[in-house]
Amino acid sequence: MIDFLKKDILVIARDRTELIVLLFMPFILIGILGFALRGVLGGDTGELNMDVAMVINDNEQVGIEKFSEELHELGFPEEVHTELQVVASEISPYHLLTNMLEEESLQDMIHVMELGEEEAEKELMDGNIVAVLTIPENFTYDSLHKMLLNQGDGSNLQITVNDYGSLYASMFQDIIDGFAHNLNFETAISLTLGENTARESTIDRNLGGTETISAGEPINSFQYYTIGMAVMFVLFVGATISSKAYVEKRNHTFNRILLSGKPSYMYLGGKTISAAMITLIQLVILFSLSTLIFGAFRGKTIEFWLGMGFISIVVALCVGGVATLLTSIAIRLNSDSVSHIFSGGLVSLFAFVGGSFFPTSDMPAMVATIGNWTPNGAALTAYLQWMQGLEMSTLISPLSRIVGTFILLLIVSVFIFPKRRSASS
Amino acid sequence: MLETEELRKIFKGKTAVDGVNLYMDKGESIGLLGPNGAGKSTTISMISSLVKPTSGDVRLHGRSIIKDPTNMRQVLGVVPQEIALYEELTAYENLKFFGRIYGLRGKLLESKVQEVIELVGLKDRQKEVVTTYSGGMKRRVNMAAAMLHEPEILIMDEPTVGIDPQSRSHILETVRELNQKKGLAVLYTSHYMEEVERLCDRVYIMDHGRVIASGTKEELKSILSGEETILIDLDRQHPKLFKELEGNKSILQALETEKGLKLIVPKGSRLLGTVFQIAERHHAQILNVNVQIPTLEDVFLHLTGRKLRD
Repeated sequence: MIDFLKKDILVIARDRTELIVLLFMPFILIGILGFALRGVLGGDTGELNMDVAMVINDNEQVGIEKFSEELHELGFPEEVHTELQVVASEISPYHLLTNMLEEESLQDMIHVMELGEEEAEKELMDGNIVAVLTIPENFTYDSLHKMLLNQGDGSNLQITVNDYGSLYASMFQDIIDGFAHNLNFETAISLTLGENTARESTIDRNLGGTETISAGEPINSFQYYTIGMAVMFVLFVGATISSKAYVEKRNHTFNRILLSGKPSYMYLGGKTISAAMITLIQLVILFSLSTLIFGAFRGKTIEFWLGMGFISIVVALCVGGVATLLTSIAIRLNSDSVSHIFSGGLVSLFAFVGGSFFPTSDMPAMVATIGNWTPNGAALTAYLQWMQGLEMSTLISPLSRIVGTFILLLIVSVFIFPKRRSASS
Repeated sequence: MLETEELRKIFKGKTAVDGVNLYMDKGESIGLLGPNGAGKSTTISMISSLVKPTSGDVRLHGRSIIKDPTNMRQVLGVVPQEIALYEELTAYENLKFFGRIYGLRGKLLESKVQEVIELVGLKDRQKEVVTTYSGGMKRRVNMAAAMLHEPEILIMDEPTVGIDPQSRSHILETVRELNQKKGLAVLYTSHYMEEVERLCDRVYIMDHGRVIASGTKEELKSILSGEETILIDLDRQHPKLFKELEGNKSILQALETEKGLKLIVPKGSRLLGTVFQIAERHHAQILNVNVQIPTLEDVFLHLTGRKLRD
């Protein structure tokens, strides 16, 4: 099989058109899409900076004291009273909100300044800030009342924006909505579980949240499109290999191979290995160039690259399976029309539903589900999850879908491939 | 050494080869003659085990190779009509690949590659990609690729189609040397009668899927031993003259050639005078007349009523 591998690599390496399609096209597209859609994906925070004002009409200390007095009046036992007082000062909503805004990930993006109401309004009108976050009177008291005693209506944070619908305003709104939602969610869990304190519910705050992409490390546009284009263009390797196999059949080099006494499974296996190796080389070149020129994966750890390597091997095997199936069909039908249909239409379709052009989370659920079952879609998911720092164990699902597809493709290929004598006619 | 018995191949209801029997002894050189569509390529595809016959058998040293072609493939070298090479690779890379798939490795592979490339006269240009070669050079590499594993039998399917005279001569000379000096058995198919006459000991003539005549060159020519060929060069084509000669009962066969006419007539028939008279009547100017003993081409014409390149 090594003989076939060497020969196939040489043949493709000498075909400039194929090389351009397999190596330079994806790289050019990574550049175009990466620059054009910069800022749209969650990881492109480097370029996002916004100033917001915070108007504080609440007095946190007064709120906590007022809440404490009320606890006393309600006649709780002394130890419960003491514990609730401690918790109230620890989970004060104002305290949590300012903590969140001071988190490292947000600090680079959002600069918060404390201003008076009128001054904030003026800055907003002048366009110096993108939003004003107003903390209403009795915010601490009303929130604690709702969170710890489940009494009252709670309190509402108020966001004022000048340019409604702008990217920055929307993002800030989303961040504050997320905070409120989390707080409400935690409170609800806490009350449902019969817990007394919000501190315990904070520990549980990741409940049900780890499967979503936004739960991990953010991905920037160059990273996304490097992977998106890579998983799309590896499919062209399958079509290329099968087209070359058809040429072998047409110009009778395939007959020479049969006459040498090599079994047909060796020829077919050679195609699998060749496609897999060429795919691996293609991925290594793409990832390296993207890192060198666009800085997509600059500074990543060895562990990160080992994971990427492992996923790439699985993906490459699957492309080997695709190449094997297309080769079997081309030899059986004595035509490379299926390879052309695959490269001319199916790859684009797979790329679209698989999320190579934009994330499947932006598509209808059904399309996203179908996309996840395409080899490129599953590969994209595996790569993205790994890049977001998720555990290798969470990658089992997409990776097993890819391996399953590979095995299925091999079985069908062997079944379709014509038997020795008819292969040559 | 090699024989076929009632070899038959039917493709989609159409009989391509119909009961072909032929044999080949060790070191023998056999010609397979026939026009396009005669069934030559299908016959050699069945002999070389690439196509399974509908019926009949192919035997090597008395053992059928239909079910297990392994032994056959080890002793067989096939030069196909097509240029079965990777055009993106150099001649050297092509030969190395084909050598490897025949199990050659290391120094043996290198020496065999150099040996065959020298044999076909391309040592100096072996590192150039095949695309840059002339048709003749490609055909020479095509032949070299079939020689790497030192076959006992070489099957050549129209190996000189569309090539320059220099390459053609080189290929023919190489085949003759291999046959005469190294005892390589050759099965040679061609449109070119003179190639077969030059190379082959025995000839099989095929038409419409059947062998219509076989024997040594002399045996075949003796079919026309009672006849002679008159070649007449004319100033131009004269269809009416040709028609009249064709209808003359004393003339066995008439054929229009590039320069004029070819007539096969009974030996000693003294028809020249009649031919001159008819030509004059049709205002045809005779430029040259040549009376020959029959060639294999004439035998083929006599047997099939067609020229080889029809």
